[in-house]
Amino acid sequence: MFDAAKFVEDAVEEIKKQVKGKAIIAVSGGVDSSVAAKIGSMALGKNLVAVYVDTGFMRKGENEFVKNLYGKMDLKFIFIDAKKEFFEALKGVADPEEKRKVIGEKFIRIFERVAKEEEAEYLIQGTIAPDWIESGGGLRDTIKSHHNVGGLPEEMKLKIVEPLRNLYKDEVREVARYLGLEVAERQPFPGPGLAVRVMGEIDEKKVEIVREACAIVEEEIEKACEEGLIKKPWQYFAVLLPVRSVGVRGDIRAYGYTIAIRSVDSIDAMTAAYTKLPHDLLEKMATRITNEIKDVNRVVYDISNKPPATIEWE
Amino acid sequence: MKVYVIDNGGQWTHREWRVLRYLGVEAEIVANTTPLEKLKDADALVLSGGAPRVGLQDKLGNCDEYLQYANVPILGICAGHQFMARFFGGECGEAKVPEYGKVEIEIIEEDVLFKGLPKKMIVWESHNDEVTKMPEDFILLASSENCRVQAMKHVKKPLFGLQFHPEVEHTQYGNEIFMNFLGEAKK
Repeated sequence: MFDAAKFVEDAVEEIKKQVKGKAIIAVSGGVDSSVAAKIGSMALGKNLVAVYVDTGFMRKGENEFVKNLYGKMDLKFIFIDAKKEFFEALKGVADPEEKRKVIGEKFIRIFERVAKEEEAEYLIQGTIAPDWIESGGGLRDTIKSHHNVGGLPEEMKLKIVEPLRNLYKDEVREVARYLGLEVAERQPFPGPGLAVRVMGEIDEKKVEIVREACAIVEEEIEKACEEGLIKKPWQYFAVLLPVRSVGVRGDIRAYGYTIAIRSVDSIDAMTAAYTKLPHDLLEKMATRITNEIKDVNRVVYDISNKPPATIEWE
Repeated sequence: MKVYVIDNGGQWTHREWRVLRYLGVEAEIVANTTPLEKLKDADALVLSGGAPRVGLQDKLGNCDEYLQYANVPILGICAGHQFMARFFGGECGEAKVPEYGKVEIEIIEEDVLFKGLPKKMIVWESHNDEVTKMPEDFILLASSENCRVQAMKHVKKPLFGLQFHPEVEHTQYGNEIFMNFLGEAKK
């Protein structure tokens, strides 16, 4: 079986061997990057600089959460507001692969800027097995380019260090628990964030709609878990579809967006079964989403498994 | 025990590695172009699945060499299974009804792989092609509604083929199938 203590011991040694001088670590507030940051700080101490980029595609309340989380760790923490840059870069980009690549490159350019200021040559990332598997290469087909692997630009100055490359999420969680990290049980969130939960071209309004819808889905599912009505699914979120349909609100015709709710059960994201959520809970989420978000008048539930679907829609 | 996972480019090649390691086996993923002489210490081989259509190509790295000369138990999965069937004279082609995700299979012959397991089980699949004609020296072990050759075995040698994926979490009894296979390698 998997031995978290042994893993941490080996990973710390490996980073000490690989990294000369300073390194930066890209953090998002998720489990993977938090574990990589903790292991990195155990290996490098003050020579590790954590960089968090607010892309504008983060979950509701995420910026505050991350500031608080890294405030408690023994490393240098840099917060970068890059909302404008990211929205600017994605103007006119509708293809999911292109979106991921634009985002991947933007991240790297920002990290390169920080690394230059900090005089660091290394970039530590919380890349895990599904990221590079799905990104493809060689014989392996590209399912989607993960921003931290397939989305990397060809030309880059930083040397990449990936201590969690051979782990899956359930194993990363075991390491997180072993290290006593409070984020151990957080649900996964994609690196490109809400940008891949708005189908097609994004704009600030659409991102705001899906952010609110995701928050409602999270709130209601987590409440149902606390009340013991359901077992916590692996991942649960909302997707904004580029489809509008006719509705009626207060005797007036409406022509609004459609939100898809997605909730799946998995251990490693390599296969996933849709969650058999109770209808009362689905109804509650649909009612809240359509009542609280003005531009949405229809909600559907995604009942596909992976394969053939993937977990995120893009 | 040492088992090499021959990487034919599957999404779940690394999962095969993980399951084997969890079963206490020393496992290593290697490219399918690895010369057989570098795999001399192998107690068994797993031929992984792969990207679309690789099972239908004339050559699948050095898989033909492994099948002919390796002389250890071999488990072909998905594209690896299809290639095995073709290598021994069977035929493969596009599945009339491809299967992705959850499928029920029925065990026809328990043999080694399904020893001690129920007659019906849920497995997960992801294939566009399938074995349309099993080679003569093989016997049929399991079928599903839309795919006859879900599992097969060579009549004399410890060579096994599975169309479904025992290495993924959602397949029932996946670990047991691997343990039964590894039992052959211990002989």
